[in-house]
Amino acid sequence: MNLVLYSGGFEKENISLDRKLLELADKENPSITYIPSCSYDSEIDFNDFIRHYRALGISRFIHFPVDIDFDETIKKEAFLSDIIHLSGGNTYYFLKHLRRKGMLKELKAFVKRGGVLTGLSAGAILMTPSICTAGFPEFDKDENEDNIKNLKAMNLVRFEFFPHYRNSKRYDSELIKHSKGLDRPIYACPDGSGIIVKEGTLAFEGKCFSFFQGKKVKIN
Amino acid sequence: MSVKCFRLKKIVEISYNYSCMGTPLKKFEKRKYSKFHQVNGKHALQKKCPESFVPYKARKRKGGKVAFFNFELAKEMGLIPKNHEHEMNGDLEEKILDTFSIVIINEYDIINDIEFPEEDILPNHYMATRYLQLQHPNKQGKTSGDGRSIWNGEIRHSGKTWDISSCGTGATRLSPATHIQKKYFQTGDPTISYGCGYSEIDEGLATLFFSEVLRKNGHQTERVLGIIEFSNGISINIRAHENLLRPSHMFNHLKQGNYEGLKDIVNFYIDKQVTNKVWTELPKTQKAQYRYFVDKQVEVFANLSADFEDDYIFCWLDWDGDNILMDGGIIDYGSIRQFGLFHHEYRFDDVQRYSTSIKEQKEKAKLIAKTFIQISEYLITGDREPLANFNDHRAMSKFDEIFERRKNENLLKKIGVATKEREYLLQSQFKFVTDFRKVFSYFERAKSAEGLHTVADGVNWNAIFCMRDILRELPQILLHRGSSIERSEFIDIIKSTYATYDDLEISSYRAKKIDEFQSLYWKLVSKLSRKFNREESDTLLQIMMRSSVINKYDRVTGDSISNIVEKVMKRRPKLGANELFQIMHEFSEYQNLDPDNKRTVKVKKSEHSKMMKGMLQIVREFREGI
Repeated sequence: MNLVLYSGGFEKENISLDRKLLELADKENPSITYIPSCSYDSEIDFNDFIRHYRALGISRFIHFPVDIDFDETIKKEAFLSDIIHLSGGNTYYFLKHLRRKGMLKELKAFVKRGGVLTGLSAGAILMTPSICTAGFPEFDKDENEDNIKNLKAMNLVRFEFFPHYRNSKRYDSELIKHSKGLDRPIYACPDGSGIIVKEGTLAFEGKCFSFFQGKKVKIN
Repeated sequence: MSVKCFRLKKIVEISYNYSCMGTPLKKFEKRKYSKFHQVNGKHALQKKCPESFVPYKARKRKGGKVAFFNFELAKEMGLIPKNHEHEMNGDLEEKILDTFSIVIINEYDIINDIEFPEEDILPNHYMATRYLQLQHPNKQGKTSGDGRSIWNGEIRHSGKTWDISSCGTGATRLSPATHIQKKYFQTGDPTISYGCGYSEIDEGLATLFFSEVLRKNGHQTERVLGIIEFSNGISINIRAHENLLRPSHMFNHLKQGNYEGLKDIVNFYIDKQVTNKVWTELPKTQKAQYRYFVDKQVEVFANLSADFEDDYIFCWLDWDGDNILMDGGIIDYGSIRQFGLFHHEYRFDDVQRYSTSIKEQKEKAKLIAKTFIQISEYLITGDREPLANFNDHRAMSKFDEIFERRKNENLLKKIGVATKEREYLLQSQFKFVTDFRKVFSYFERAKSAEGLHTVADGVNWNAIFCMRDILRELPQILLHRGSSIERSEFIDIIKSTYATYDDLEISSYRAKKIDEFQSLYWKLVSKLSRKFNREESDTLLQIMMRSSVINKYDRVTGDSISNIVEKVMKRRPKLGANELFQIMHEFSEYQNLDPDNKRTVKVKKSEHSKMMKGMLQIVREFREGI
């Protein structure tokens, strides 16, 4: 199982994670499918995405929004790519549409087949057991406008992911509070850092903190 | 000089923020809107074309409030300063109402000796312009024109003159109702609808949303400057454009054989195009100027008919030259539509007649262009020859030539070919592009076996293939696979929701067309790669990036605009002028399909108002409709 979880930030902040991703793909000119969290204006984000990865030598891309109707041909093509990237955005909205279109299962099968799945912020949270980390802290949470109750996500890893983390008291107190009720750690990463999962092994890129049963530990 | 300018600018900034040389801020705020004073009914046409309008005195109309104001357009026109916030304030609202909340004193008022307070009567005359309209009983335009509009005047800013006109300012003698019923109507008479001289806010909103989207996508159009709302959904819809003259403003004089009236209006139009720097190479002699006028108008109408066809814009063009502006701008959005697919059998039902179809627009545009030749020759020789005498005129062949070139150019644009590459293909590979267009048209024009049927406002025969979908997805998959897609996959991508099972059968002819389409697509990539010395994958990638914007999934149609307006109307009491401007701005930006537009996504998706979300849903739902 090969995954890359990006916290967020500007593209140039994520260059080292990108290089790790290309190592994982282990292929000259791998193809990438870009799944936006929301199709609204996603062609603009898609073009930015292309420009960034083109500079890293990738030239084959598929744009596959899931909150609109799509044909089987583009779906089939998307899942034939080497890497699938889940973009950032509203985690609840993204989960709703991935689930509605049966994509959670498809993505898990893709990972099982050896495909590399990457996600940024919301996209990364979706790889974990649940999207509960999207719901706090109060001052920086996603709005659950669609009132999604079932927060179960892909459960590809045994930790929760907290993106855009800032090493501050107000973030820490929220994370400590939430970690008390969980039997798995929450890994909190500031923008520019992230987690690489290669064949079940975790590697941390950049700063990363673990919040587990009420305690905070710096792990990288 | 530059130092002086800087100092002046500084003074303006200081005075803007505080006060200038003892001028109280309030007074300065008012001075910011002084340009509104120029919009007072006076228009150059009144002096130069005395036979082209009916003058009306006007009076203030009370009880209105500003429902919408187009801050961006007002800045372009110089009505408000460039640094003005996109927010309404008391002074601005007062100025808008003072300038535009007016109603004419019409024939009914005069005949019935209706008195109005003297202080409410405005000093100048406003004009209702005369033009030809096929729905009028008089087919020479003797009685037709602005039936419920007047021209507020003109304003000059940054080397451009803008015409401003308002719809819903009272019943004029030029409305069809007056001539059909042979009487003058009181403004607001509830016994008649169109002839009562009022307009409604939903008309203004439809024009607003549609015109801003079409403008962002490169079409000339009238624009909504503001909407003043009264009770019961009645409104004054203020529109502006650099030149609001229509061909029908000339055709009435032509039909009447009114040489002087025609000459005046043609000369007026030519002068304005030159003053506005739209025409830069006007010859010296009058004879040559009239020929130049023909060349320019032929160019405008050949290009617009190709553009309308390729952007699936249904605009009812006809022999009267109404429903369109001289410069090809769209006006009167009542029957304007943008289709999601090439529904080329759709006809609008106008009670007494069906409209032209989108495919017939070209011939109507050509007829209008031919009438310009007739006008020009009439003005040069003094003889009004029959229109048929100009069937073989050189300008008619030029029309076809321009039309064909534009059609090819539009296809390349839609595919995602960039400007420099397009130029090369149009210059050196014209036949190749034309061949591609033929196979493209085969799919674009395919219709459902279900046949002709009635729709809400006319008849249609559904198109079945969505060309935007294939143009968006094909380059991605070709690049991904490095080879063509299966025929069944081609149909899977291109099929629309209108297609029935039978419609999608891959006959041997259709199979051949699918193969031809892909083969030509690859050839196009190959030609461009060779010419511009690039890898084919790079060419495909560039096409793919452009195409993803040009052919984005969500694109407005006429039906979606109607539904969006309905939605806005329901929310209206809560939506003020500021909110409406923000929504319009965001919506038209979202519908900007120009791949060269440097746009960034500024608003976090989660922050979208419920209103915008609802509008997106509507666009999606009706994306393939009419």
